[in-house]
Amino acid sequence: MSTEQEQLQDYMRLPAEILYREELEALRKEDNGNIPAGWQMSPRSVLTFIAGGKAGNTVITPKYIGNTRLIEMAVATLVTDRALLLIGEPGTAKSWLSENLAAAIYGNSGLVVQGTAGTSEEHVRYSWNYAMLLANGPTPEALVKSPIMRAMEDGGIARFEEISRCASEVQDALISILSEKTISVPELGKEAGARKGFSIIATANTRDRGVNEMSAALKRRFNIIVLPAPTDIETELSIVKKRVAEIASSYNLGASVPADEALLKVVTIFRELRSGMTLDKKEKVKTPAGVISTAEAISLLTNSMALAASFGDGELTERDLAAGLQGAVVKDDDKDKLVWKEYLDNVMKKKGAEWRGLYQACKELNE
Amino acid sequence: MKATAEAGVHIFGVRHLSPGGAKHLLEYLNELQPTAVLIEGPSDATDEIRHLTNRSTEPPVAILAFTEELPVRTALWPLAVYSPEYQGMKWASDHGADAAFIDLPSSVILSLQDAMRRESISVQEVKPEADEAVEPSTEEVKEQESVYSRIARLAGEHDYDMYWERNYEHNLSAGAYRAAILSLSAGMRLLSEGREQLEQPKEHAYNALRESYMRRQILDKIAEGHAPDKIVVICGAYHASALADLSDALSDKELAGLPSRSTKLTLMPYSYYKLSTMSGYGAGNGAPHYFEMMWETMDAGRPEELAHLYLSTLAGYLRSSGTHRSTAEVIEAVRLAESLAALHGGSAPTLRDLRDAAQTLLGHGELSVIADALARVDVGTAIGQLADGVSQTPIQDDLNRLLRRYKLEKYKSTVASELPLDLRENRRVSSEEAAFLDLSRSILFHRLRLLGISFAKNRPSGQDAATWAEYWIIQWTPEVEIQVVESTLLGETIEVAAAYVLREKLQACRSIAEASALIRIACECGLTAQMEEASRVLQSLAVDSRDVVGIAAAARELATIIGFGDIRKVDTVPLTPLLEELFRRGCLFLLDASGCNDEAAGQMIVAMNELNGISLDYSETVDEPLWLQELLHLSEQDNRNPRLSGFACAILMERGAISADEVASEVSRRLSPGIPADLGAGWFEGLSMRNRYGLLSRMSLWEQLNDYINALEDDEFKRALVFLRRAFSTFSPREKTMISELLGELWGVDTEQAAEILTGELKEDEAKMLDDLNDFDFGDF
Repeated sequence: MSTEQEQLQDYMRLPAEILYREELEALRKEDNGNIPAGWQMSPRSVLTFIAGGKAGNTVITPKYIGNTRLIEMAVATLVTDRALLLIGEPGTAKSWLSENLAAAIYGNSGLVVQGTAGTSEEHVRYSWNYAMLLANGPTPEALVKSPIMRAMEDGGIARFEEISRCASEVQDALISILSEKTISVPELGKEAGARKGFSIIATANTRDRGVNEMSAALKRRFNIIVLPAPTDIETELSIVKKRVAEIASSYNLGASVPADEALLKVVTIFRELRSGMTLDKKEKVKTPAGVISTAEAISLLTNSMALAASFGDGELTERDLAAGLQGAVVKDDDKDKLVWKEYLDNVMKKKGAEWRGLYQACKELNE
Repeated sequence: MKATAEAGVHIFGVRHLSPGGAKHLLEYLNELQPTAVLIEGPSDATDEIRHLTNRSTEPPVAILAFTEELPVRTALWPLAVYSPEYQGMKWASDHGADAAFIDLPSSVILSLQDAMRRESISVQEVKPEADEAVEPSTEEVKEQESVYSRIARLAGEHDYDMYWERNYEHNLSAGAYRAAILSLSAGMRLLSEGREQLEQPKEHAYNALRESYMRRQILDKIAEGHAPDKIVVICGAYHASALADLSDALSDKELAGLPSRSTKLTLMPYSYYKLSTMSGYGAGNGAPHYFEMMWETMDAGRPEELAHLYLSTLAGYLRSSGTHRSTAEVIEAVRLAESLAALHGGSAPTLRDLRDAAQTLLGHGELSVIADALARVDVGTAIGQLADGVSQTPIQDDLNRLLRRYKLEKYKSTVASELPLDLRENRRVSSEEAAFLDLSRSILFHRLRLLGISFAKNRPSGQDAATWAEYWIIQWTPEVEIQVVESTLLGETIEVAAAYVLREKLQACRSIAEASALIRIACECGLTAQMEEASRVLQSLAVDSRDVVGIAAAARELATIIGFGDIRKVDTVPLTPLLEELFRRGCLFLLDASGCNDEAAGQMIVAMNELNGISLDYSETVDEPLWLQELLHLSEQDNRNPRLSGFACAILMERGAISADEVASEVSRRLSPGIPADLGAGWFEGLSMRNRYGLLSRMSLWEQLNDYINALEDDEFKRALVFLRRAFSTFSPREKTMISELLGELWGVDTEQAAEILTGELKEDEAKMLDDLNDFDFGDF
């Protein structure tokens, strides 16, 4: 056990079912609801796992903070054996939610197809071990099953990340899988049918470069849920705070966790740039071309912490924050630089004494 | 509870707009077969019940109570087809049972609310929502909002509406609804009553009074000979437990001591839209059409079909607006909604479940796609109907008669429609009434507008000159009905009320502009007597006025009315002397008013344009020579605003009132070297505002201008630039080219080349010179 633990600690990032193993076990033990076929726990327990709560004496930490109703809809979708498509801007916790859903429902979030422009139909259906194929001809042993096919055989949940980045033809390979719930292997003259519990959770970006429009036929086979950016600053603040603390502890960043004040500043800036107006809604702000998501805010803060730990005294300074902000806001465009300059001079400068230091640091960097 | 048990009166607590409540109530009534059904509602409206249950009455309708004297206070009791109260009345009338309202009469309610409002104004700020129609039970809710959301949270629901629908509307087991409400009511009062007594003593007392009045009414009913166990009382959930104990009823003396204002009651049609925007209490407020569907499926005994009906109706709307959604998607949406309901342990999807499922499946995740269709399915456009002549006020009767007479009844719908009117005589029809149908309609609309009744809205037409055409957007809303009822206080008919309002406005009128606007309104409303009165008011105001701008605007208004009055069949002859008088005053004060600064000169130029236009249009009636003479004075004066002098000169030139020689000498006088730039160039600015081609054809003028500018010092030149730039800014590119050609000729360069240089892009050094001008000190302007 201890060696296993040590091994696990070597991994940069643990899958949700291992990271939250205790919580999942507690939920399973305390579960007294009706468990659908192929599921590890009842829908209500899945909801508790994601939204947080208690199972017996174990505290379940919330995995997705914000609109609980969306989680309810996602869980209800999977109960009806429909496939789930999570859509949203980059950094709205689509993959995070899909991983945790798969972990809770199926106990394994590892059956993933990672969509790219190079994903081919073989990745979605099956391919062959060509050495064996040439030696023995088509045999079941020579068949290399895709994660989706394996999930079908197991009655589990497969994840399809970034589905909109695949070519439309590849996406459409899912159409018959989702409606027939089988993959036919004509070379072997057989069909692989899905067991109860099989489903697919796909994620897709709406607003990004290099995404392909999904066909209406495919969309029709998914229940589509749009994940929004956090609705209010308190929600966003608590998300950022929780994730920053988690990441800091798992990477052993030597810096202290940023003070609430620094978090508030970063989240305020992000929200104002994202919504195109100041929080008090009195002033218009230009929005940069890049996406300013909550996930960016989290990585910005951990990044700044790494900077502070490696090259500073471990305390997060305004300069570290400014460097992170510069990188997050000004992505590749000269226009972004102007947007950022304008924001600094028109909005941040007027925010009062507590902001003075950050303003100076940002101003110097953006010159 | 004890006293009831002894007395045996059956209390049925409901939410006011609750299909589940209506359904259970009917079952309860059928089982009990009572001889009397008592309903929470103003007891003086009991006579209206027979109209409400009339066959030709189609809910939604409302009982409206209003005070007879000013200030008008109103109270509303809306009823939908799924209101338990409405179904209760219907049951009573179908089964020959007595039905009666038992709450305080409207006269007492309005008087008490008025008193409470006054006190709350003096104590704290004015509550905005305590404004117009107050649904009797709204106050009860607000203070308990926190209790409601606490209940929802404990039940694991997202809001109280979801909790209510899941636990009360969907609960189909017999008797469960009534029992649940009785215990909810008791629990709720236990929680909040003590606090309410302390924090809102007035509201608490008001509720206590209402309840003891209702108890008294119940006792009276028993005294009438109805067996207590054959009486069913339908009341709001909040009162259910309080009415159980009949011991504390109002005595005769207390009854006589209640404050009261004289009120009237009427029934009015209501709309689902209005119902959905009503603040306050009651299930179904947000989505009346949805609850109507719920009632229909329940009534047909197939409540499980609601989700199918709702989602396929929604898909139908989507398809008809061009968004195709397949039946398979509707099926999946129903499944998702049901699975969402199951997640909460519910037996059927709530509205929220259905809406979320629709967004996911039919909207593909986007609410915006289905928002429009959702509004139609949730709210609906239904509007109620009453039989003709059901307790209407005289002014409502008058309006209905006029609408019938002018063939406008088909526009009495909640969907806005457009009606273009042609005010001219229609010569193809025989009767006079038909020939002027559109004119009569227009007069009616204008009168309604004057009364503040928002039935018809005038859309400004694109053509200014087309005074015979009007475009109206007509929409009948319950607000219109209320506004009409309120107008009863102003007069018995639309015409009398409109005349009354106009007279009031005339008495309050203090400026010429207002008075002339009122004359126009009187003319549009066809109120000749008031028009004469208005002109008297205008005349008396004008006598004391020296404000040329105001006088000119009023004169223009009058001139328009006189010019186009015959199209409205209004006798405008009495207005002509007034126009003459106004015009004369305008002329006489022109010179005085022209001694103004540049800012005021802009308005003066508008006024001069108006007066000049009138002098041309009505040259026989108004004193034209006086106008020209005054212009000449102004043009010659050096101590008036130079722009206005220049403008006067331009008008005179245009009208041929001064000769070319006179103009030339005036120009050379005004633009002679040594005249300060603001005077010279300012004058030229005024001159150039009219009659441009006349100016462009006079070479000598440009020569003089050229010489004048050449003679200016550098500093003076910069000052002159300001005026010249302003003067030329309104010239069209073509005119500018012509000027530069003229100047080119003067300077002896090639005309086309000069034009090119002058109208082309700026060179860098020229731009720099212009930049330098930015530093110019405008302090003394």
